Amino acid sequence: MPATTSAALAASVPELWDELTSEVAAGRRFADLFATTSPGGLLLTAHLASPAGITTREAMLPPGAAGYPALTPRLGAAFWYEREIHDLFGAIPEGHPRLEPLILTAAGDPPRPGAEVKPRSVNPDPGVLPSHVAGPGLFTIPHGPVRSGVMESIEYLVETPGEDIPHLNMRVFYKHRGIEKRFEGMTTADGLLLAERAEGIASVAHALAYCHALEQVAGTEVPRAAGLIRTVHAELERLACHLDVIVRLADGAGLAVATARFGWHKEQVLRLVSRLCGSRFGRGVVVPGGVSRHPLIGLGDLLAASGELDKRIAADLSLLMGTASFLDRLRRTGPLRPERAREHGALGPVGRASGYTDDARQSRPYDAYGSLAVRTASRPDGDAMARLEVRIDEIAQSFHLLRQAAGELAEAAAGPLLQPCDPADGRGIGWAEAPQGEVLYDIRVADRMIGRCRARSASFHNLVLMHEVFAGDILTDFPFIEASFGLSIAGVSS
Amino acid sequence: MWALRGLRNGVLTTRWPARPDDYAAATRGPATVLTALAGESVNLGGLCPTGAITREASGPLRLDQGRCIQCGRCVAARPDVFGWTSGPGSAVLARPALVVPPVDETADRLAAIRDDLRARTRALRRSVHLRHVDAGSDGTEEWEILALLNPVYDIHRLGIFLTASPRHADVLLVTGAGARGMTEPLRQTYEAMPYPKVVIAVGTDAVGGGLVSPSYATAGGVGDMVPVDVWLPGSPPSPFSILHALLLALGRVPVRAGSQR
Amino acid sequence: MTAYSAVLAAGLALLAVAAAADLVFGARRPRLLPVPYWLGAAASACLAVAGAAALAGRPVVLRVTGLLGSGTVGPAADRLSGLFLVIAFGAAFAVSLALASWAAGPGRPGRRGLGASYALALGAVAVVLTARDAFTFLFAWESLTLAFYLLSGFERARAGRPAAALVTLAFGRISGVLLLAGLLLLAGRSGSLTLTSLTHAAPGTLRSAAEVLLLAGFAAKVGLVPFQVWLPRGYSAAPGPARAVMAGVAVNVGFYGLWRTLALLGPPPAAVTGILLVLASLTAVLGIAHAAVQTGLQRVIAYSSVENTGLILAGFGVALVGAATRDRDLLAAGLLAATLQVVAHTAAKSLLFTSSARMEAVDGTDNLDRLRGSVRLRPWSGTGLAVGSLTLAGLPPTVGFVSEWFLLEALMQQFRVPGLGDRLVLAITGAAVALTAGFAGVTFVRLIGMVVLGKPGSPGGAVPRDYGLAGRAAIILLGAACLVTAALTPLEIRAIAAGLSPILPASATMGALKSPWVLQPVFADFSILSPSWLWLVMPALFLVTGLVAWAASGSRLLRVRRVPPWRSATAGVSGRASYTAFGFANPTRRVLAGVLHTRAEVRRIDGPRPGSETAVSAAQPAPGPPSPTSRQEELADNAVHVGYSSDVIEVVEEYLYRPILRPFLLLVRLAQRLQSGRLDAYLAYMLIALIAVLAVVTALH
Repeated sequence: MPATTSAALAASVPELWDELTSEVAAGRRFADLFATTSPGGLLLTAHLASPAGITTREAMLPPGAAGYPALTPRLGAAFWYEREIHDLFGAIPEGHPRLEPLILTAAGDPPRPGAEVKPRSVNPDPGVLPSHVAGPGLFTIPHGPVRSGVMESIEYLVETPGEDIPHLNMRVFYKHRGIEKRFEGMTTADGLLLAERAEGIASVAHALAYCHALEQVAGTEVPRAAGLIRTVHAELERLACHLDVIVRLADGAGLAVATARFGWHKEQVLRLVSRLCGSRFGRGVVVPGGVSRHPLIGLGDLLAASGELDKRIAADLSLLMGTASFLDRLRRTGPLRPERAREHGALGPVGRASGYTDDARQSRPYDAYGSLAVRTASRPDGDAMARLEVRIDEIAQSFHLLRQAAGELAEAAAGPLLQPCDPADGRGIGWAEAPQGEVLYDIRVADRMIGRCRARSASFHNLVLMHEVFAGDILTDFPFIEASFGLSIAGVSS
Repeated sequence: MWALRGLRNGVLTTRWPARPDDYAAATRGPATVLTALAGESVNLGGLCPTGAITREASGPLRLDQGRCIQCGRCVAARPDVFGWTSGPGSAVLARPALVVPPVDETADRLAAIRDDLRARTRALRRSVHLRHVDAGSDGTEEWEILALLNPVYDIHRLGIFLTASPRHADVLLVTGAGARGMTEPLRQTYEAMPYPKVVIAVGTDAVGGGLVSPSYATAGGVGDMVPVDVWLPGSPPSPFSILHALLLALGRVPVRAGSQR
Repeated sequence: MTAYSAVLAAGLALLAVAAAADLVFGARRPRLLPVPYWLGAAASACLAVAGAAALAGRPVVLRVTGLLGSGTVGPAADRLSGLFLVIAFGAAFAVSLALASWAAGPGRPGRRGLGASYALALGAVAVVLTARDAFTFLFAWESLTLAFYLLSGFERARAGRPAAALVTLAFGRISGVLLLAGLLLLAGRSGSLTLTSLTHAAPGTLRSAAEVLLLAGFAAKVGLVPFQVWLPRGYSAAPGPARAVMAGVAVNVGFYGLWRTLALLGPPPAAVTGILLVLASLTAVLGIAHAAVQTGLQRVIAYSSVENTGLILAGFGVALVGAATRDRDLLAAGLLAATLQVVAHTAAKSLLFTSSARMEAVDGTDNLDRLRGSVRLRPWSGTGLAVGSLTLAGLPPTVGFVSEWFLLEALMQQFRVPGLGDRLVLAITGAAVALTAGFAGVTFVRLIGMVVLGKPGSPGGAVPRDYGLAGRAAIILLGAACLVTAALTPLEIRAIAAGLSPILPASATMGALKSPWVLQPVFADFSILSPSWLWLVMPALFLVTGLVAWAASGSRLLRVRRVPPWRSATAGVSGRASYTAFGFANPTRRVLAGVLHTRAEVRRIDGPRPGSETAVSAAQPAPGPPSPTSRQEELADNAVHVGYSSDVIEVVEEYLYRPILRPFLLLVRLAQRLQSGRLDAYLAYMLIALIAVLAVVTALH
């Protein structure tokens, strides 16, 4: 697995920002920015990703300082990260263009992950977002937090003169559960369970990233068979998520048969996963050091089932991509400009559809991906059509990887499934490519308990790009744009 | 073209509950205590991450299914004491009924609650509209509820529909651990529904707060936010379990003599 | 002098007294301000009675010759004049009551002159409708133009009013010149100035040309394309209910003139009829397209006048086709439809302008977004607005529904017309009228939903109070005219049949009555309608449904639990959270972008947010947002603002009048050279003119 490197503490926060901007200019991708309360003050940590691995840069904000110069004016991708730090810690980034509450709106003591203080439960005070479009007859249509279908709670405020969408605001604080603070004081075993439930539809990916971090702390090497089983579950999860996106797109376009058929395919994938491990979402499979048990069905059955699914899904996809009324809704809808995707470092299919290819399975391979041939799908247009095409390519790719992994598992099945991994102290960084994009975990262990666990999901990184993709679209395009992003709000609000 | 494609694979829909379904019977429910008498030999430390397993003063073990996140640690550690329930029937009408092995007093109270619910939902029995509110879930319960609409489960054949507006809804499905940000929206949704209405807490997060609670941002389940009629544990509960909970709420589940549920 | 002639004379005399009272007392004694309007109301009543008598066939003649402007034959009312006198002065009575109430309230005119202009307008209308010779007719016509100029320019201190008054005057003069030319041509041919003698002008190109000139002159008065540009400006510029005088009462002289031209001269050449139909359909579509997207209440109502002109002239065109092909039933169908639409329009337009006179927002504008929920504060005006809107939208059971039904039925008879060209034109007109009816629904739903029923914002400062007793009586009268007349349509048709008898026998028009309470479009076995039965059945259906619901629900129907409206449990938004009047018109703006030339633009703005809500007119026609160039600007976007603007243009004004304006002004500048201010130059011009006229006359003789 590629290494993670970290330099010594930067002297001051502005110096840290200088380092970051120079690294980003040199081609690294800005991956994460978070803070931890520590004895010396507020420790700001930033991660940068490159094919060589993850680089960490840190700086300490002295205890008395109320604020620090903001990074966002220099590095736009830090926009939401600094708002999150402000909400959780109360530190004010001076010069930040828009410092409204993002995930937590209460006045009073901020929760401060990393600190001993357990805050009393905070009741959010929603407040009112200022409107940002000027002109005659404009008004705001709120979508949410109680959405019109079975969807996660988030509020989209569409500022519109009646048809077009000049501007979109988002309020994501409704679902905030305080996951980062909850991690503290848990044992590493319990922490794994919580990581699976941070973003439920990417359970396996979060569990993988968590375990990679712990395995880095303990220096454990995952056995070959375990790596292959992990890969099988990760790819099945990817299939389920991509099929869910297609179901939502077909439902938005009113194609009842397509919605039904892809719903059936997704159900077959989930049933296959439950036959493999007992849980429909692959929970309980990935443990630090390997996997918990062999698959509950034979490899022959697995290959047969996945082959059958592959044929059916491919046939339906080819028909779907020939339905003109459906494709019309997606072409040129919600375009994300390639420069913007590159500047921001858009993750997952959203980034790949705008030409920014950074697949953690390929750039920083883990588990069995190093030996399997992973091709990255990408498109240059960046509209909803491109995002769908990228996902279709990834579906085909996932079936291919499944076959490969199952084939190799037949030879490697005799080996051990678990290496002991019980780190007592240390700090590790782990990542995995979830269906939405790269998930990044940064865990500090002390005395077999978690001191600080940072779980950065791809949804949190990507959702801010929703502000920028409404170019001449009207209200009825909104469900397609939202579905084509395919993000999970649980990961955003965490 | 699509019309013909839809006929290609025949009938995919399950006949449950009219006929038994293999996958439904194999559904893994929350953990349960197999024998109550082996209470003394079990070391409870570090066994259950949510503290669902307790030992009463007089010795017998009790497992609160409403806090069981189906992690399997207890089953793996002591397979002689703990096991999985199987089948979709894990929903109950009163919170105390989720504690297994059951206490005697709960049976009578349950009968009274069941009759009251039947009276309330008399008008809704054959045709009912659902409304869902996410109060801080992890995203999987929404997938399982949406799965009810795919051709395999197809709740439309049972006269159950999803609706967009709470004004048209009869049943409120609440998922999630009770994030405090959703207190007011959930209350507004509940107020916006006309009577008679039924509230179902879907998932262990909603019933008892799950692993995410205790947290500064959650209320430990939605029981304090809305008056819940049906409690459905599971992390997440499978679509068959949700369907069973719906039918229980509507009084369409045949009651077995002497059973709790 | 017969009794009814005395009544006619009394009416005219009362108007003269009203004018004098206003000029003498003016604004010196505010208590006496409503007096001219009370006198005008009495005069309108007299004139309406005289008209009804003329309609019934009684002789109504004023033998005054040789008096100022009375020409060779005194004013007299035959049945056609009587019909229009009843229509115009029935509305004028109610409008005068409203004016009296308005003038007593806080919005009163600040100086004298309004009452006099109003009396002049009404007097001119009366004389036009009863003129017997060309001289009286033209004299009264020019007086009406003058009255319009005085009315629309009354509040000359406010922005835009002087220009509006000038445009009104200009188009009034254009119509006067066209009429003058036409009448003189005909008089030259027939040898006498009497209107009845014009029928005897020898047929030929000159008579056709004269008829075309007459039709064009009357069309300019009512606002047919391309003459419609003065209507919105002129009508909106007049103060208070005076708009109702202009748009509801006085516009009928134009229609009267068209009807009279048909009576005297018969149908024009077929090509002219075709052009008239095409222009009528264009007028209707253009009018409603603009009415649907305007941001000011008065403008919406004014553009709706343009639309109604198109509808009325479409019916008139059908009548012309019928006259040309000698199909009496078609002629009857078209004229009946057009006259019914005239009645509906008069009642509804007077009601709308009367009701909207009190609808002014706190800041003095009539922006629809600021007038939300006005009915809470001004229930009478709001109800009047609602009834008038329903009528013009053509919804049952109002009189607008009946007239639109007749119009569409008349246009549907196009299959009976022999010539292909006529049939094609009628079909196109029918399609345009149907389109107009649809968009009229959208327009008036916006009005009712946003202005009458919307949730009121915080009123803030002082809001004009509603009408007093007289104004309320006016609104009741006009509302009854819109609603109750529909139930009594057979009586209305009898009256119209009597009124149209100079053009075609009453029996032909009475063919529209299939049975005492059932109507048909003159042609038998085509279709039927019974508005009288509708008036009985619709309320009965409501009642029955309500009773069934009450019975089926036990007693639970009235147990109501009130909760806030469902807005997806949002935490709140700043600014508006529901559709604005501007936003409601957005789909219309987009769909009719071809007619309206909509330009929409989204652009990023730096700096503090602009506070005003006025529509910023876009410069470049670039839909969609321009992409910001630098990331700095992009980041600033998230904090700062985006500007959205959308604008429409008036096609005729933009592409017809503005290009003419430049050479016209050049001509004016050239002509100004003649105004040297020197007496000897002017005497020389007069001498040259005299010699030229003498030369021409001798040459022609």
